[in-house]
Amino acid sequence: MAGLDYFEVECTEDGSDNYIKIATTVLQDHNLLGIVEGLHIYIDPKYPLFVATGFIRPPRSVIKISDVGNVLIQNDQATIAVGDETYLAALLKMLWARLGHDNVDQPDRFTVIIKNVEIPKDLKDWVVIDPSQSLFKDLIYAIQVIAPEGFKVRRENYGKNRFSYAASENTLPADDVEKIIAERFEKMEEALK
Amino acid sequence: MILVPITYKGGVYRLDEVIDYIEDLGGYIVQRHNIASEVVLQVLMPKEDIKRLAAFSRPLAGEIQESPLVGTEIAVVIPSLEIHHLPHSACDVAEYLRSHGSKSNMLGMARGFGKRIAQMNDEERDLINEHDLAIFVLGNFASCIETKFVKFRPGITVPIILTGGPDREVLEKQTDPPVAGYVGGLGRFMHRTQTEADIHRLDLVIEEVKKVIEARRQEIANDPLSVSPARLQALIKQELPEIEEVYSPSPIAVQLNGLRVKLSYPDYAQKVRDLVIEDEITVGDVADVLPSRMRDYILIRIKPLSETNIVV
Repeated sequence: MAGLDYFEVECTEDGSDNYIKIATTVLQDHNLLGIVEGLHIYIDPKYPLFVATGFIRPPRSVIKISDVGNVLIQNDQATIAVGDETYLAALLKMLWARLGHDNVDQPDRFTVIIKNVEIPKDLKDWVVIDPSQSLFKDLIYAIQVIAPEGFKVRRENYGKNRFSYAASENTLPADDVEKIIAERFEKMEEALK
Repeated sequence: MILVPITYKGGVYRLDEVIDYIEDLGGYIVQRHNIASEVVLQVLMPKEDIKRLAAFSRPLAGEIQESPLVGTEIAVVIPSLEIHHLPHSACDVAEYLRSHGSKSNMLGMARGFGKRIAQMNDEERDLINEHDLAIFVLGNFASCIETKFVKFRPGITVPIILTGGPDREVLEKQTDPPVAGYVGGLGRFMHRTQTEADIHRLDLVIEEVKKVIEARRQEIANDPLSVSPARLQALIKQELPEIEEVYSPSPIAVQLNGLRVKLSYPDYAQKVRDLVIEDEITVGDVADVLPSRMRDYILIRIKPLSETNIVV
C-alpha cells in the first residue's frame, strides 16, 4: 500500500484480500496513510479474533499561533491577523481558556484582538494543536472500523511509536493475544530493518 | 390482462399527453421521478400496448425500457446500520436496485452484528416478511456467514438472496436448505462501487433479483390476483386525497401482491376496506387490510382468484 513500508493481512481463512482493500480505504479516508509506517493484521474467523499491530512515524510538529497568523503586539494590545482559517476555532478556544473570554475579541473573520490583559511575550509560540494527542484516538477509531463489527471485547495498547489492538466477540485469550502481538512485532521489525 | 413493468424516460414537453395515453391504454403509473427537465415514469401496462406507446412517444424522444423490478419492494438486510456497512456496501446495493425501478428499503438489525452474538428479533423478521424479497448483505468470511445466517433464516417466508465475500459456489455449498439466489464476492467493503468489477457484482445482484421476481410473477400468474396492485394504488390515490399530504418519497409502495399505504392504520384501515372498486366490490372483499410493522402504516395483501372467485 502506498505510504506504508510494511503491510500485511494474515488470515486463517480465505478473505484476506478483502481486508487489504478495507484497511487501505479506511486509512486513506482517515488521513492516516502518512502516519502509519507498518501494519500487520491477523484475523482468525473461527475463534473469532482480530489483532492489529503497527508502527507509527514520528508525529507531525505542533501548530503554533505563528502558524495560524501574524502576531502584532502594540502598546498593551495584540492583534493576530489570521492567515490560515483551518485552526481558527481551536485557536479561539485555546485563547479563551487561557486569557479569558472577555479579553479575546474577534471583530471580523480574519482578526483576533487580545486586550485588557498583560500580553505574554511568547504569545506567538503558544501551541494551538498538538497532532500527536489526537493521533491515538484517530488511529484506534480507524482500526475499529477496519475490524469486523460486533467484536466488542477489545484491548488496545499505545506506546511511543507502536500500537496494538486486539478484539473479539468472546473473551480474549490473554496469553495467545500477547504471543501473537509479540511475534508480529518481531516480524515487522525484521522487515523494516 | 397481464401488466408488464416498464420505465418511460422523456422530457416534460407534452408529458401530460403521454400520461393520458398510458392511462387510456389501461396502464398505471406506479412512480414518477422528476429529474431536472427529465421525467422517469415507472409504469405497469398491458404487454400488447407497449408498441403503441413507443410509437406515440417516438416524436417526443421518449425512451421505453422493460424493467422487471418495477412494482416490487425489496429489503436490503444488513447486520447493523453502523459505519462498517454504510454507506458502502449496503447503500450501493439499495441504490442500484432503486435505479432499476425497484423500491428498496434498507434494514439494519439492532443486534445483527458478530458471529456467535448475532440475533434478529420478531419485529425485524416481520418487517422483512412484508417485502417481496430480502437481500442479505453479509461479511467476508465463509465460516462467519455459515454460523450467522442460520440465525437469521428462521421465520423468513419471502425469497432470500444471500451475498457475501466468498465465491458463489462456497455460499451455495454451505447454505442448507438452499436460498433463492447467491452473489459471491460482495461482502463488506468500504470503498465506493466505481470500478467495472464492482459494478459487475451489482449487476449480478440485479440478475438474481430479476430471476426470483420473474419466477414469483409466473407463480402469481398461475393463480391471478383478484385485482392488480397498480389498480388499487390508482383507486386509493383517487378516493383518499389525504395521501397527497404524505411526504414520503413513495406514499403508496406497490408490491407484487399488495401495497404499503403510508396512512395511519387506526384512522384509515376501515376507509380503505370500504373503497368500492367496481360494481359493489370493495377492497375488503378482495384483499386483507392489515397493520404494517413499519410505523403505523397499512399493508394490503391482495387475495388470489382461487380464494375470492372475483377478478376486477
